[in-house]
Amino acid sequence: MRKLITSLAVFFACVSPALAAGAAHDHLPVHAEEIFRFGPVVISNSMLMIWIVAAVVILVAQLATRKIALVPSGLQNFVEWIVESLYNFLEGILGAHLVKRTFWFFGTIFVLILFTNWFGLIPGVGTVGWFKEGGYGGDSHDTFHPFLRGGNADLNMTLAMAISFALIWFYWAISENGIVGFVKHIFAPKGQFSGPMAIMMLVVFAFVGILELVSILFRPVALSFRLFGNIFAGETTLETMTAITGNWYTNWLPPIPFYFMEMLVGLIQALVFMLLTSVFLKLICEHHEEEGHEHH
Amino acid sequence: MFYQLTLLAVTTVPTEEAGLADTVNGISEKFKIYPELFFPQLISFLIVAILLKKFAFGPIQEMLEQRKQRIADGEAKLIEIEKQLADSAKHTAEVVEKANADAKRMIEEAKASASNIVEQKTQEAISSAQQIISKAEAAAQAERAQIAAELKREFGRLVADTAQNATAGKLTADQQRAINDDALRQVQA
Repeated sequence: MRKLITSLAVFFACVSPALAAGAAHDHLPVHAEEIFRFGPVVISNSMLMIWIVAAVVILVAQLATRKIALVPSGLQNFVEWIVESLYNFLEGILGAHLVKRTFWFFGTIFVLILFTNWFGLIPGVGTVGWFKEGGYGGDSHDTFHPFLRGGNADLNMTLAMAISFALIWFYWAISENGIVGFVKHIFAPKGQFSGPMAIMMLVVFAFVGILELVSILFRPVALSFRLFGNIFAGETTLETMTAITGNWYTNWLPPIPFYFMEMLVGLIQALVFMLLTSVFLKLICEHHEEEGHEHH
Repeated sequence: MFYQLTLLAVTTVPTEEAGLADTVNGISEKFKIYPELFFPQLISFLIVAILLKKFAFGPIQEMLEQRKQRIADGEAKLIEIEKQLADSAKHTAEVVEKANADAKRMIEEAKASASNIVEQKTQEAISSAQQIISKAEAAAQAERAQIAAELKREFGRLVADTAQNATAGKLTADQQRAINDDALRQVQA
């Protein structure tokens, strides 16, 4: 019975976008589309998706923590397992002090990206919508607007996450190192030098510091485009595979392997984004952490 | 991203400025990176992050912290109990050892006391026996002396009677008395 339900779920997961794709727009737009607006604030279909995912995550967390038992079981056990594994994993990268302070952000990043990616694969996302003209994202040749879109298939969303991280990274770096420590961490020579070598190293490390600054400034761009590119490419692949046979009774078959691949990509991209951001934070706080351990 | 790319454009050679700015504008146009789309998305993400912190990760993390604390407390209590158990075992061993020593000492004392009592009682018994023997001997001696005296007296009387009968009044009283005394001396000897 369970196998039958799973098979049917996979079938409808494939058939639904296929049918909609055939009937709706001829290609997946590279940007999110407007659902409605409050004055100047535009609510896009990707933003709506993020809210739904966040609501589900909060609901599950609340259900798991509603009746806390000393010996966990069921949903509480599952949620605890996820959060504790993630916490221990991040503790291995950031150390005990930093992870306690920053876990909420990296946990949010990972869980939100992961479940947004997987929710984007649910039938109806990108395929259920309405026809209209105009609004942001409305192409002249494509009048179909889906209600929901994979949250990370919108560069505005991935950029919002990356910019948020950049700002909070700066705050954490300053609060952990101090302003002088932060500047020294980027520009000061590493190692013991004296005489002319010290002067030369000052120049070299000043140049290295400028490169580091440029690297820091471009991190949000790299982070946002990497995530967006992977997820958008996956959705495009699924849509292309769905349309490849050209008839409705076989077009559900080609995307099946790609659905499994996209589940893996969704997980990997969530992991990559979280790992990179946590490593960036660790790199800027590393010196301070070591000193902190020495003091202890 | 727009500002990042603009910064890149500013830091590069001025002749490329126009080209880079066009590229940036092109990317923004292509991906619809507009302030009215980007800023709501940014605020939305921050709100979602704060909500997840408060309602998802917060309670779960608090729950895990509580459990960690409870486990740490349990471990601390376990160490304390183990220490108390070790102290108790040590104390018990000391008490048992002391009790053993006391018991040993008491047994030794009892043995010594019993030996003394036995010795004392033996001495008393010996003394008592000696007294009884002495008394018995004295009694026997007295009885023997009494019997001997009676025998002497009887024998003397028999000798005197015999001598009187033999002499038939031919002897004087003094001679009779001398013969009697002589016979008594010989009997006593």
